[in-house]
Amino acid sequence: MSGPVRLSVENLTKRYGGLIAVKNVSLELRAGEILGLIGPNGSGKSTVMKLMMGIEPVSGGTIRLGDADVTQWPSHRVARAGVGIVFQHSRPLHRQTVLENIKLALLPDSLIRLFADRDVDARARAIADRVGLSAVVNRHPSTLPFADLRRMEMAKAIARDPQVVLVDEPFAGLTLSEVAAFSDLIRGFRDEGRAVLLVDHNVKSVAALVDRVFAMYLGERIAEGTADEVMQDATVRRVYLGGEIAASHKRAQAATDKPPLLKVEDVSVFYGKAQALDKVSLNVGQGEFVSIVGLNGAGKTTLFNAMSGLVPYSGKIEFGGQDLSRLTAGGIARHGLVQCPEGRELFGDLSVEENLDLGGQHLTAARRREQLSWLLEMFPILRERRAQAARTLSGGEQQMLAIARALMMDPKLLILDEPTLGLAPVILEQLGRALEKLRETSPITVVLGEQNVTFALPHADRVYVLEHARIVWEGDPPRFAKEMGSGYL
Amino acid sequence: MVYLQILIDGFAISSLYALGAMGFTLIFGVSGVLNLSHGGIMAIAAVIGWLAAGDLGLGVYLGTLVGVIAGLIASYVTYFVVILPIQRSKAIPRDETEIFILTGTLLWGIMIQVGLAYLFTDNPVTMRPLLDGVTFIAGVRTPKNEIMIAVICWIVIGLLWLLVNKTPAGKRLLAASINPRGLTLLGFDLSRIYFFVWGIYGVLAGVAGVLLASFLGVSSASAGQLTASAFSIVVLGGLGSVSGSLVAAYVVGYLETITAYLIAPTLRPIPALLLLVLVIYVRPQGILGRR
Amino acid sequence: MKNLLRSPALYIAIAVVVVAALLPLWLDGYILGILTVAYYFGVFSMAWDLLFGFAGEVNFGPTFLIGLGAYTAAILDNQFGPPIFVCVLAGAAVAVLGGLLLAVPALRLSGPYFGLVTLVAVLLLQNAIVIFAHWTGGEIGMTVPDVLSIDAGVNYWYALGFLVLCAVLLFGLSRSAVGLILQASGQDRIEAQALGFNVTKHKIAAFCISALFSGVAGAMLIFYMGTASVGTVIDISVGVQVIIAAVLGGRRTILGAALGSIFLILATEFLRPLGQLNTFVVSAVALAVILFFPDGLLGYVLRAGERE
Repeated sequence: MSGPVRLSVENLTKRYGGLIAVKNVSLELRAGEILGLIGPNGSGKSTVMKLMMGIEPVSGGTIRLGDADVTQWPSHRVARAGVGIVFQHSRPLHRQTVLENIKLALLPDSLIRLFADRDVDARARAIADRVGLSAVVNRHPSTLPFADLRRMEMAKAIARDPQVVLVDEPFAGLTLSEVAAFSDLIRGFRDEGRAVLLVDHNVKSVAALVDRVFAMYLGERIAEGTADEVMQDATVRRVYLGGEIAASHKRAQAATDKPPLLKVEDVSVFYGKAQALDKVSLNVGQGEFVSIVGLNGAGKTTLFNAMSGLVPYSGKIEFGGQDLSRLTAGGIARHGLVQCPEGRELFGDLSVEENLDLGGQHLTAARRREQLSWLLEMFPILRERRAQAARTLSGGEQQMLAIARALMMDPKLLILDEPTLGLAPVILEQLGRALEKLRETSPITVVLGEQNVTFALPHADRVYVLEHARIVWEGDPPRFAKEMGSGYL
Repeated sequence: MVYLQILIDGFAISSLYALGAMGFTLIFGVSGVLNLSHGGIMAIAAVIGWLAAGDLGLGVYLGTLVGVIAGLIASYVTYFVVILPIQRSKAIPRDETEIFILTGTLLWGIMIQVGLAYLFTDNPVTMRPLLDGVTFIAGVRTPKNEIMIAVICWIVIGLLWLLVNKTPAGKRLLAASINPRGLTLLGFDLSRIYFFVWGIYGVLAGVAGVLLASFLGVSSASAGQLTASAFSIVVLGGLGSVSGSLVAAYVVGYLETITAYLIAPTLRPIPALLLLVLVIYVRPQGILGRR
Repeated sequence: MKNLLRSPALYIAIAVVVVAALLPLWLDGYILGILTVAYYFGVFSMAWDLLFGFAGEVNFGPTFLIGLGAYTAAILDNQFGPPIFVCVLAGAAVAVLGGLLLAVPALRLSGPYFGLVTLVAVLLLQNAIVIFAHWTGGEIGMTVPDVLSIDAGVNYWYALGFLVLCAVLLFGLSRSAVGLILQASGQDRIEAQALGFNVTKHKIAAFCISALFSGVAGAMLIFYMGTASVGTVIDISVGVQVIIAAVLGGRRTILGAALGSIFLILATEFLRPLGQLNTFVVSAVALAVILFFPDGLLGYVLRAGERE
């Protein structure tokens, strides 16, 4: 049963220069209730959480904690008033033991109290016990497994018995059984009468846990209600899936008797303790267009970075028969495996032409000119803007420049990581047409990583689905529409 | 009359400062390193050049060349012996790498200073002028050497500009200072880029060191002061901005010259320092800084 | 508290102090003098470690604070001649003011910028000393009419006593609840604030404490040596020595800094027959330590528990 409103925000707005990250968001956190704040990358959900905690200053609107207006309060004051936060990435003090880390959370903000109160030790142990850390209280964080570090973050957040608990993406990097244990913990917080805000990418994974859902996109609220209501909401589905899933007629699939151009075998990647990829295997044939579909945080970018040699991995990646672990990152790109990354990584201060030129540095002068004119034809908007500085281009234009620059390298295999991120639908159409033309005019192999399934499906010969660091499905687009379509969200 | 003298002298010293500062900021912009042994590298170039010109009897021009080469070698030794090991070290936590590089290069600078004094001399060395004699500019008596130095500085600055803006290798340097990851994705290994930039730095510092020896004289003891004025200029101009360093070098050079002539020679470095403090409080990213 | 009394380290420490206190019975005045200076440097390094290791602020110009304390005391003594402890107190006060001055940009700047501010502070102080040579003796330095004592042994005990007192205070602070908060503030500002701590307040306090100890030690060093000069308390190379000692001994151990200082000064002295080269050798060794043992002597021993 949900109780009184513990924390409320009204018309909350946050601007970073010209970018509006949060726009007129109003919501309430009630005692004894878990509210799920859902949205893709860039939706503003993490920003809302930071604003509530006073970590970033508010551009407009108000935040109330109980009766008090806490909009302008610095975060340490908000914390002392009864708000606890569990950050997405663990932040332990490495030189202290687990117990000392928790004790820290119990200390008063005083310059003169040199010794902690007598009961701090006992209270710290009790909290450690509650979250399941009693066995490791005297160990140092660097010796702990990932899940225990996350437990410690929870312990710190609830140490002073806060009325409001903000939790940012608690399940990232956890195994299924750990997810269950953490869900129980969070349910426990709710049952104790606290107001809980749970931020996550994905409605499906938190549906069983939350009481209500607030969905955001591009800084605004798009839906609110129970988990089921939100999952069925038309706007939410469009935002997550990009619209109706229609697999178009597909051209003849590339011959399967040839050895694959790219072979990924049992690749695992760890960021510290967190597992970002778990024994991922896939193949890409010459001339194929393969889409790797998955939500933010599933592991697509990590997979591509492993292919490009930018992160260390275990397992094997072979390109054109060559083991890529023997090459440097630059070498891999020169070898023909070129990535157009999620962040685009343009040279903002250099002009469009200079960016493209740098892409063509490995070609002969004649070949470079050829490539350049071919690309300027495929992306006419770049011809128009060739002398402008890259950072003055719009989002869609920058994306096209990034793709064009990657194509300047005359790659054998092009990786496109989330090219549609943050782009308006009309730009998506242009991008889609450019990809079509690319496929028609060159024998290039493409690997597309996308959250937007509507964009990813029509061009693809085959589809892989990446979820929580694992490949969970493989097949062709028509089968995808049939099997995964409705359950995907 | 005095004003003209200030104008001319200030120009010469500013040009020299500019050369040293541009190298310092180039290394920071591309490689992310604040090299506190900068003055030491300049001093090595000066002393070796002086040795070559005098004791080894190679004469002024050849001696200068030898000095510049010495600067180049010193730069590479600094990179491979001090900086790269710290950057690659697994025992140093990521966020403390900068501090360790600062401390390491500081130590290295001290080693150079003491080493030079011990092996050669700690007296100021002065290179014989490249051009003897004086000339009169609008009635001001100016050593021809001074003009020559300013000219050489500007030729080198011009070559640097051409390199960075017009050659493919130079464009890569520029790109590396903007977005190193982007450059890797385009098939360039950053290690080669770093090798290239430390080479350019060595030449810039070497030329600056040898010319300074010819103009004012350099001693092993001035290594510290040279580093200090280089980084003051660089912070003033904006860390990582080569054009900012150029502008700031002239601001500082003229401030110092004006102070020396019109107020008192002993107070020479003060106004620049005060300006630096002001800038740090008011606009920490410097005049033309990016961040 | 109970843990402390049971720990063997405490008894080792007490034994070391007792032995040190008895050294004047055997050693001659010259070596005692070296050790005396080493002890004061030990306090310099410990104060630096508190700021770096605990508040996470890299002060590249510790001699700014040390110099302020030293010269204030020296000038006061020369001009007005009050008792030594008044001069030392005055030095401490001015040093704390200096600490506050440094704290302000520290809170707004990050990365290399703050380090540069601290270096600039030293340069400014150095130039100020030279300009106001009439008061300060300029580059040559000045003498002070009063000294702590003319007996080498007595001076030694003053220094040792002072070192032990500061060590106890600073080490105790580092291990206290406040020390824990400081560590959190230095390591992760956002997390510390999210846990309810006013990081700004704590960092300013850390600067003031570091300044206090540096200033007092600087003043006392003056009254030991009887002279104050740029070369002994302000020059960048002195500051580098302070930092190297703390890094050598082990960052974030406080006591390691004191050990590092003593080691460094004894080593420099031991290598004196090499002439100018002794600085070279010591710097080279320090550089090697930085490259191969960044945790320092004590740090390596104390960190065993943190590694898997």
